Amino acid sequence: MNKLSQPEIMQLLFQLSIMLLFGRLLAELARKLNQPAVVGEIVAGIILGPTILGLVSPDWFNSLFPPGSSGLVLDGFVQVAVVMLLFIAGLEVDLHIVWQQGKQAIYTSFFGLVVPFLFGFAFAFYFPLFFGNEDATRHLPYSLFMGTSMAITALPVIARILMDLNIIKSRMGMLVISSAMINDIIGWLIFSMVLGMIGKGNMNFSLLNTALVTIGFTVLMLTLGRGLINRFLPWVNKKLAWPGGLLSLSLALCFMAAAFTEYIGIHAIFGAFIIGVTLGDSEHMPERAKEIIHQFINNIFAPLFFVAIGLKVNFLANFDPLLTLVILGIAFAGKIIGSGLGTRLGGFTWRESLAAAFGMNARGAMEIILGLIALENGLINEKVFVSLVIMALITSMSSGPLMKWMLRK
Amino acid sequence: MNFAIHKIGLAIAFSPTSEAMLAEAMRLTMVYQARLILIHAGDHGPKEDKLMDALIEKAGLPASFIKIRWENGNPGDVILKVCQQENIDLLIAGALRKENLVQYYIGSIARKIMRKADCSFLMITNPSTQPLPYKNIVVNAEDSPYVEEAIFAACQLGLKDKSNWVHIVREVKLYGLTMAASDQRSEVEYNEVRHHLVQEEINTVEEFLQKIPHDKLKVNIKMVSGKAGFELSQFAKRKSADLLIVGASQRRFSLFDRVFPHDLEYIFADLPCNLLVVHPDQQSGKEEHYE
Repeated sequence: MNKLSQPEIMQLLFQLSIMLLFGRLLAELARKLNQPAVVGEIVAGIILGPTILGLVSPDWFNSLFPPGSSGLVLDGFVQVAVVMLLFIAGLEVDLHIVWQQGKQAIYTSFFGLVVPFLFGFAFAFYFPLFFGNEDATRHLPYSLFMGTSMAITALPVIARILMDLNIIKSRMGMLVISSAMINDIIGWLIFSMVLGMIGKGNMNFSLLNTALVTIGFTVLMLTLGRGLINRFLPWVNKKLAWPGGLLSLSLALCFMAAAFTEYIGIHAIFGAFIIGVTLGDSEHMPERAKEIIHQFINNIFAPLFFVAIGLKVNFLANFDPLLTLVILGIAFAGKIIGSGLGTRLGGFTWRESLAAAFGMNARGAMEIILGLIALENGLINEKVFVSLVIMALITSMSSGPLMKWMLRK
Repeated sequence: MNFAIHKIGLAIAFSPTSEAMLAEAMRLTMVYQARLILIHAGDHGPKEDKLMDALIEKAGLPASFIKIRWENGNPGDVILKVCQQENIDLLIAGALRKENLVQYYIGSIARKIMRKADCSFLMITNPSTQPLPYKNIVVNAEDSPYVEEAIFAACQLGLKDKSNWVHIVREVKLYGLTMAASDQRSEVEYNEVRHHLVQEEINTVEEFLQKIPHDKLKVNIKMVSGKAGFELSQFAKRKSADLLIVGASQRRFSLFDRVFPHDLEYIFADLPCNLLVVHPDQQSGKEEHYE
């Protein structure tokens, strides 16, 4: 087995330290400004990366983040972080809340998903060159990706906004939360199909085969997998050290499911997400354990991931104002029309429906993860990625104030 | 808000537990000063008449308190039909704590009643020929159309039976997600969020209790987080409760709810103790009140 040399180990440890330190510093600043931590972490990456440090002092940047073995290991950390982030995104999905809200949540999420998806799909399908898609063979997956990227919703950002407004447990709050959960499940399902279609895994599937494998895996995990987990977890809780046993086994299951979906040709993230949903839905998974997993991943691996984004891409060189504006316009219009209509049909007033739609408009970390995976798989270029990150940040930052404004009117 | 019981129905089959079931029903008939309607689904002939007479005689029930309905057809459907026809306020039936896998998905008579009854019902898991008052009652204070009636029923029965404890259990909703979304707060703020979440739910229960007489009762308010029905069932088991009271669900459960259980379905799947589901819509509260 190849080993890292002593300077490379030092370099890697220093990189991790600087990324966590800077990420925290800027996350705290974002917190003071009442903004999500992800905003600060992305900005930290932009400062440390080619956009600012690379421009101001290229030597410092190259000595801090040189290409080579330590960079490769750091990339490994980032890959693990993505898998873990999707795992906790899955844990946050509470099917119990979704079943409680019933048809109402299905209407709201259906419109909140389909309308922005169609907006994103149609623009990418009819104006491929404007969106940087020059590969005619990837026309369909590219359009499907753009549709998904417009349809996705950031559950933790929404939860935070609803908490701040003290309406999280109201009828509207529960509806928005459950609709965001359904959006998450379907959004990641579609995205996994898109990744399956572009064939980065062991097998190249057609659209139908990818859909069958993805849906089959989901159904299998939520029925048989869930049953097995429900039999297995009581034993784990009773016999193994707590919470150590449960935490290590949960993450072991997460990595195993991620490896499995990667092997069968649907991206690793989907396995992690679905096992998160399955574990989170188990009545034997204590809330306290979920809280520990959340804190561990959100405060160590999430900052590494979001800071790393700024290290990978030059935000200044790849900033296309027109593209960003168009993507922002599509994102706002699709989500507000779709979610607003869905909530209105659910019996809320227009004002309440628009407030809910502004809440659902937050894309947050999920959009950035989606964009990075698409970038790494060669589906989108850096310009589109930068526009998607900016859209994710603006929609997340504006959701709270817009929702407050709408409810105060 | 009320939980008046004027007519009690007892689903009776000539099984080894019939005598004990009748004794349990008789005790509650006396507690509520109600009238008892015995519902038998199956053949009716001189043999059955004789068996029923023997059971009634053994139980020492006065004839004026009893009405017998002999019906033919699918037992589950027949029992539910009689409940509607007779305006029964409380249906009593025996139930296994847990069904085998096939029975669970297909649904036994008891589970059919649990999922489809339009009136309040009491499922007795371990009937006794010498039934005792309920000493340790657990009641679900979850948001349901009948939450106040369920707490009222628990306090009312607790007072009548001179119970040692009435435990009122409520779920801290969205606990996991709320705490996860709070991870960027300071330690003080984080603890405040946690405290606020719990206190808010305690206040809700206290508001319910203000409207319900419970002066001589020892009441324990307990907050749980996790899957509501499951945590409630686990709490009832931990407390060795002899009666669990819940408000009926707004909608009927289907096979889908058995595949993806939630709320009451967790309890129906594995009864922790006797279960009283409060569904006051169909209560007669009208005519005949037998003193």
